[in-house]
Amino acid sequence: MTDATYTGSGSRTWRRLRRNPMVTIALGVLILIALAAIFAPWLTSFDPYETALRQRLKPPSAEHLLGTDSQGRDLLTRLLYGARTTLLIGCAGTAFGALLGGAIGLCAAFYRRLDGVFMRVIDVFLSFPSILFGLSLAAILGPGLDSLIIAVGLSVMPGIARISRGAALSVMAQDYMDSGRSIGLPDRSLLGRYLLANAYPPILTYTTLAFGDAVLLAATLGFLGLGLQPPTAELGSIAAEGRSFLFIAPHVSTAASILIFVIVLSFNLLGDALRDAGDRRAS
Amino acid sequence: MTLLTLRDVTRDFHLRGGVLGRRRTLRALDGIDLVLHPGETLALVGESGCGKSTLGRIVAGLLPATSGELLVEGKPALKGKARARQIQVVFQDPFGSLNPRMSVGDLIAEPALLHGLVERRDVGRRVAETLTLVGLRPALAERYPHELSGGQRQRVAIARALAAEPRLIVCDEAVSALDVSVQAQIANLLQDIQRRTGVSLLFISHGLSLVRHISHRVAVMYLGRIVEEGPTEQVFDHPRHPYTRALISATPEPLPGTTGPGAALSGEVPSPLALPSGCAFRTRCPHATAQCAASVPPLSGPEHAVACWHTDTLPPHAGRHTEPTPRMAAALDLYRRAAARRQDLTEETLT
Repeated sequence: MTDATYTGSGSRTWRRLRRNPMVTIALGVLILIALAAIFAPWLTSFDPYETALRQRLKPPSAEHLLGTDSQGRDLLTRLLYGARTTLLIGCAGTAFGALLGGAIGLCAAFYRRLDGVFMRVIDVFLSFPSILFGLSLAAILGPGLDSLIIAVGLSVMPGIARISRGAALSVMAQDYMDSGRSIGLPDRSLLGRYLLANAYPPILTYTTLAFGDAVLLAATLGFLGLGLQPPTAELGSIAAEGRSFLFIAPHVSTAASILIFVIVLSFNLLGDALRDAGDRRAS
Repeated sequence: MTLLTLRDVTRDFHLRGGVLGRRRTLRALDGIDLVLHPGETLALVGESGCGKSTLGRIVAGLLPATSGELLVEGKPALKGKARARQIQVVFQDPFGSLNPRMSVGDLIAEPALLHGLVERRDVGRRVAETLTLVGLRPALAERYPHELSGGQRQRVAIARALAAEPRLIVCDEAVSALDVSVQAQIANLLQDIQRRTGVSLLFISHGLSLVRHISHRVAVMYLGRIVEEGPTEQVFDHPRHPYTRALISATPEPLPGTTGPGAALSGEVPSPLALPSGCAFRTRCPHATAQCAASVPPLSGPEHAVACWHTDTLPPHAGRHTEPTPRMAAALDLYRRAAARRQDLTEETLT
């Protein structure tokens, strides 16, 4: 007896989203890139790691659509596998950051005694630029996929915690929170069915925007050599490798950079559209 | 056996102005003594800021008392879920008090399931029964709060409170936000439910006309204290505290030309942060003397209790009825007939 007749703010937001052509484009591009990354082994016949020094730094041709890199590997193949790694780090990192940040924000609003401590810690996190923060974390945790995910997650976490707390505080002021408590509900039901269920829209919007930041941070760490170690394909490190041959073979860095740019732009467009659609004041 | 007993209940709020501001204490409730019997409706009236909602929240367990005793059926009041099983709340604003993400059915099923009052497979029937009890069609279970009118929502809120099968329902200004005609319907519904289930009501209100209609006893509050308390008829027909008299005079008169020489309230309510010494009402009272400033009058009297030093010397009250306004009276009448019809219907289906 739940969804059938529900035409609340959720569906209005959705209608507005579908009317926006930017959403279609951004979502289409992201889905395309994600599918290409996931099905990379079936899309290309080249091996992303097998070197062919005779073929190095070849410009785009019919055989190698985007040319080859300094080790003679097919660049398109490298980019597909690289997008796989970068998106994985970005998505897993954002998911980790959103879970942690969301939990911190909701708890800070729900248990007012924790609020002061939690938010001062978040302030400290926020006072570092996220690149610097991610860099130091990646350096401390050492190389490896999981430490990268943690570094990216902890970098996006403070912003999400802030937004979650704000959204949760305005929900906490509603009478239905008292109503839930007066029914005798335990805290975990109040936090989930009452607080989270009503506070999630702005958190979700912000998290979409944070995806872009996370992907960018993942690529930056790779570019600076703090990402996964070579020869692992990763968009940032592909761009960094190409940098040494920028004048002889500009296609390597350029292609990798454009791919990063497109991914980040798409996430930002999507987040902006979500924010506009969720804004009740906009008509 | 009394259902609810409050003994010397006091509540302080600590306020701080700015970061370095002085910590100040606001005494919202000061030495409240009150009893409530099973099946009874006790009205708590007073102007906004007098502490009546604070008292309601303390009774419901949403706010702890700073000091004093709260007994339910002679035993110290329980906490959390166990308290919720005994005491439920209906809030003022039916637009804010229902979780917008839950359907009407979920809202009503939630307390019944939480307290284990119904098997999961029978919950649909229980929801339908409860909706019928508050005069709503069972089909509304599928709807969401934003699809309902204010009156319907308040009925849902009442149904949700009833679903926990409590001994007492605190109605915190439960009708104040509604249309006058809907107010009468909801007030009648509460009476109707009380007759059927024997639930007690703590009816918190700043308006007097409905209170007279619905309650058995009335307690009048002023700045955190009860100044007069007694059976509804006595308090309304023979108010003994100057404040109660002023409140009754201030209630709009239904028929022009019948207004007696009411003692209108003059002056502002003093700030609860800087209460006057002695009787808190003395700054606005036409009968105040030096004794009123010297000490706080105790609430005394066997059945109809008053907290005033001059009870015996006050002139007799002009004596005025506060009948419901014509519009409300018509609505009450309509409702009574509808309720009677509904009762017939339920009896028919039962036999």
